[in-house]
Amino acid sequence: MATHEELGECLADFRDRCNADPQLRRLLLDWDRDILVQATDADSSYVLTVRDGTVYLDHRGGEVGRPDVTVSAEIALLVELFSGRITPTEPYLNGTLKVLGTEEDVMRLDFISLMIWGE
Amino acid sequence: MRLKRVLSLPTIVSTSAGLTLASSCFVAAAQVAHYLAGNAAWLAILVSGILCLLAAACFSELNGMLPSAAGIRLYLARAFNERVAVTASLVYMGVVASVIGAESYVLSQVLVAAVPWIPALAWIIILEALVVGLNLRGVKLAGRFQDVVTYSLVSSLLFFAFLALGRQGFSVPEPLVTGGAVNLINAVALGVFLFIGFEWVTPLAEEVTKIKLISRGMFLAIGLLSVTYALFTVGMSSTVDPDLLSATPAPQLLFAERLLGKLGVGWMVALSLAASVTTFNAGLLSLSRFIYASAREHVLPSALARINRRYFTPWTAILAVFAFALVVSITVYLTRRYLVLVNVGAATEALIYVLAALAVWALRRREPDAPRPYRVPAGRLLPWVVVVVFGLLAAAVLGQDLAALAYLAGTVVAGWLYVRWAVPVLKERARARRSTARLRQAEMVPSGRPSR
Repeated sequence: MATHEELGECLADFRDRCNADPQLRRLLLDWDRDILVQATDADSSYVLTVRDGTVYLDHRGGEVGRPDVTVSAEIALLVELFSGRITPTEPYLNGTLKVLGTEEDVMRLDFISLMIWGE
Repeated sequence: MRLKRVLSLPTIVSTSAGLTLASSCFVAAAQVAHYLAGNAAWLAILVSGILCLLAAACFSELNGMLPSAAGIRLYLARAFNERVAVTASLVYMGVVASVIGAESYVLSQVLVAAVPWIPALAWIIILEALVVGLNLRGVKLAGRFQDVVTYSLVSSLLFFAFLALGRQGFSVPEPLVTGGAVNLINAVALGVFLFIGFEWVTPLAEEVTKIKLISRGMFLAIGLLSVTYALFTVGMSSTVDPDLLSATPAPQLLFAERLLGKLGVGWMVALSLAASVTTFNAGLLSLSRFIYASAREHVLPSALARINRRYFTPWTAILAVFAFALVVSITVYLTRRYLVLVNVGAATEALIYVLAALAVWALRRREPDAPRPYRVPAGRLLPWVVVVVFGLLAAAVLGQDLAALAYLAGTVVAGWLYVRWAVPVLKERARARRSTARLRQAEMVPSGRPSR
């Protein structure tokens, strides 16, 4: 089973890839959001914060009372997802991945993964 | 966990009712009145509404159990299998696109009546291009705007209904004369069309704080629509001869003109425009997102998953819907057979309700212990009632319109063959592309960095 630390490493890699892509940073300029990433089968949660096109990673998951988007799934799936081994679409459509938020935010999140890892 | 942006109950009701209210509903309402000998349209509409409440109960159980924007696609996949889910979703979306095409034709006829120097075909292109343009730029109707439009529409329709009924001293001749059971069944079957789209609110499950709000919103919307449609249709059919109403794609204009002259026509044109634009916009939005998601999971060609990098909208999917709806509109314009699509819409909707009820039953067997915030009452009886009743209603609609039967059967067969033969090829190609991309990326990733 994947661990809290592994999820943290994947999210850190995800953050670095976002911040290393100047085109993506430009596209995120108007999208300030708090994204809570929460494991459903482990005590593990992180917050990805997007401010002025830069992505930050924080461990204070439990302290974010009102995120804009919540991404929740089993920790193994989250690790697969944020390391780019799987696309979000299939687990989202089969119900194993839940993304709570407005449709535009969900779309934007999917687009980020598309830009980082392609299809 | 409470999100920053959440929807309230009035907005859920207005969204559910607003997606349903469209110009083609007036056509369907006129047809319902035409089927019946007396002024019993209210009875057929209320029965349709009550039956739709039963279907809404099934959607509520499924939505509570699986709250997701994927909606019916997810329910069917979990209850049956991927192939059934994808086929049903493709057919459903194809029919929704057809109904959008029919809707733009009906609205163009309304606008031609008001502005005759612009031809209907030009109106069709202008309207569809306008909504596509809004969608391409990511303009989404805000919840408050949807509230204002829907509640204004409902108030106006009730105003027209009470004005008509008031002029007759609230005395409607033959309010219970149906002309026989067969007529009533056909009228009820077509009445289902009036409620098409109430369940499109279920994808909003991810934007509410309590999942039960979606159920309540659907129930309230159906109740509101039932009363509004029933009063409006009786007012309309008791003011204008139902034969005249059923022969035109813009019956509401005849009614409005008889009541208020030019002012009534202008008012009704504005109402029809508001009703159609909100339905178009919502239909195009959900269709394009569905096509985008399907392309992302390689059920449709990957070219349909392209996103506009300025507005974050799936532009190729939006243009694909535009092209399809335009072809349907032009075909309807040339053949004038808009009622075929009304019947196809009613039958497809009835069959989707059958599938939803079967999904409730199947999931209770497969996942009996899964949490269900809402449970359809009366055990397994109610889902089976939905299956039988809506199965019969679909048969009634298709039995009296063979063109609609051929259209729907053709769509289902085409969908099934596509899922059976084309989807595996698309998935295999995507797998191959992904493997190649991974190999290339692994070669480029410096050592020490986590490779994927």
